[in-house]
Amino acid sequence: MTAVLQVSNLRKAFGGVVAVDGVSFEVHPGEILGIIGPNGSGKSTLFNCVLGQLQPSAGEIRIDGQVTTGARPCDLNRLGVSRTFQLLQVFPQLSVHDNLILAGQEHQGTMSSRLFGRTDAGLGDAAAQMIEFFRLSHLAEEQAGSLSYGQQKLLDAAMAFMAGPRLVLLDEPAGGVNLTMLGNLRERLQAYHAERKATFVVIEHQMEFVMALCTRVLVLAEGRLIAEGAPDEIRRNPIVIEAYLGH
Amino acid sequence: MTRLGTAVLVGATMAAIVAPFFLKPYGIFLISTWAVLTIAAIGLNLTLGYAGQISLAQGAFVGIGAYTVALLTPLGVPFFLAFLAAGLLCFAVGWGLGYPALRVQHHYLAFVTLAFTTLVFLVLRNEQWLTNGIYGITGTPRPSILGWSTSGARDFYFFCLGILAPLSLATWWMLRSPWGRAFVALRENPLRALSLGLDTRRYTLMAFAIGSSLGGLSGALYAPLVQFIEPNSFALGLSFNLLLMVIVGGAGNFFGPFVGALVAVLLPEWLRITQGYYLILYAAAIMVMMAFCPSGLLGLAERAIKSLNGRRAGATAAVRAEGAGP
Repeated sequence: MTAVLQVSNLRKAFGGVVAVDGVSFEVHPGEILGIIGPNGSGKSTLFNCVLGQLQPSAGEIRIDGQVTTGARPCDLNRLGVSRTFQLLQVFPQLSVHDNLILAGQEHQGTMSSRLFGRTDAGLGDAAAQMIEFFRLSHLAEEQAGSLSYGQQKLLDAAMAFMAGPRLVLLDEPAGGVNLTMLGNLRERLQAYHAERKATFVVIEHQMEFVMALCTRVLVLAEGRLIAEGAPDEIRRNPIVIEAYLGH
Repeated sequence: MTRLGTAVLVGATMAAIVAPFFLKPYGIFLISTWAVLTIAAIGLNLTLGYAGQISLAQGAFVGIGAYTVALLTPLGVPFFLAFLAAGLLCFAVGWGLGYPALRVQHHYLAFVTLAFTTLVFLVLRNEQWLTNGIYGITGTPRPSILGWSTSGARDFYFFCLGILAPLSLATWWMLRSPWGRAFVALRENPLRALSLGLDTRRYTLMAFAIGSSLGGLSGALYAPLVQFIEPNSFALGLSFNLLLMVIVGGAGNFFGPFVGALVAVLLPEWLRITQGYYLILYAAAIMVMMAFCPSGLLGLAERAIKSLNGRRAGATAAVRAEGAGP
């Protein structure tokens, strides 16, 4: 079976600082892969290279077997790669409903057909369903900027799923979210995964969140891959404890 | 749109239609100027208010449009062809000007567009073989449509209104389509927009090109309106004035440019009764307005209506609570 995401010998250097150093891994269909590591281990740089925000210095990235190294984020999104951000990235002056339509509209027709098409790009019902799935129905017409931090995190996740992506990269989804909302977010992600068989890659510091959500975990330290395995193996791995959990 | 909004819109449209019958020629000239500059302000509102790309070049596009018509019509080119040429030329130049916006933002972009305005001014002033330099161009004819001559002040006003209406409708259509949402996304969060599949590069260029094109079409009407154009008319002052119209009316609000242009064209005239002080008072009024309603006059109106509705809802709840009491 072709890997949804295949990263081969990825390297990214900023001048003399090597942030990611020869990292290779694969993500298989339906998998929830966690990537952990101490601060400065290269997780976000790796993410940004995969997502086209940064040009890798060397190496290759493939999505569904197709080489996408250096592709623009918008082109990757149209190939079915979606993401959430570490810091809140919603459109604060648009309603929750409009945020979700925006998240899917570029997948509907061409640019010129969208100009003459329906205001909601034919996504009104799909947006309403996604809002309901993430339990935000009572806030559908509210401006996204007026939502609480946790609600905006849920909206951020809902937007990432709106276009029915093949692969979703979640960048610290639990960051700054209170425990109640965290449980809610994890449960919604698990429900979405079970329902749609989507493939996730999660960068997270919150270890309980990663261990409960992910089926496999990679550990980065100083830009290199130092361990890989099931969550329980990772928790017991002395190299990981030394490099990360012990800190 | 609410019932109140519809009523205001219908009332304003009626007022725009009947106004010239109650005005002297200078008054008709002023409302014609309003109609013409509103088109340019709508364009700038698209670029700046919706797509968030600061531009101090809109006055230059009005100039390019005005000179296009003023130069082509004496060669025998029909007005409507010259009008279309002005729009297309500004679309192309605006597309080109959009490229710096892909690299720089905010005040850096403001400086890029400011430099462009200066460049256009210098070309208009120095390339005398083409533009007649500081002597300008006089007598751009007003068009005739199927035997209807628009050379009279009132006729030309209705002609301008007849151009403003479809351009406004087309812009409204575009802004209510997914494109409008994409432009707002550019303004609010381009990084997120890009990650959601929006080709931010193409939308940015499109926002510049369409906005500039509307500036050019406005200029194409400006030349036959004033009958004399010269480079100073399209220097930085006009770009600032158009920016003022957008900000005072309410940037990112569809009707903002209509209100802003009305204020920018009429307020200085109303203040003329103060003679030498009118520009000082005008500047002070703008400063006060911006300090107390940075979202523009329409933003202020929206806030007032919300507050009124809130009070009304509160009063209704209080009456109900009283009725339910012992």
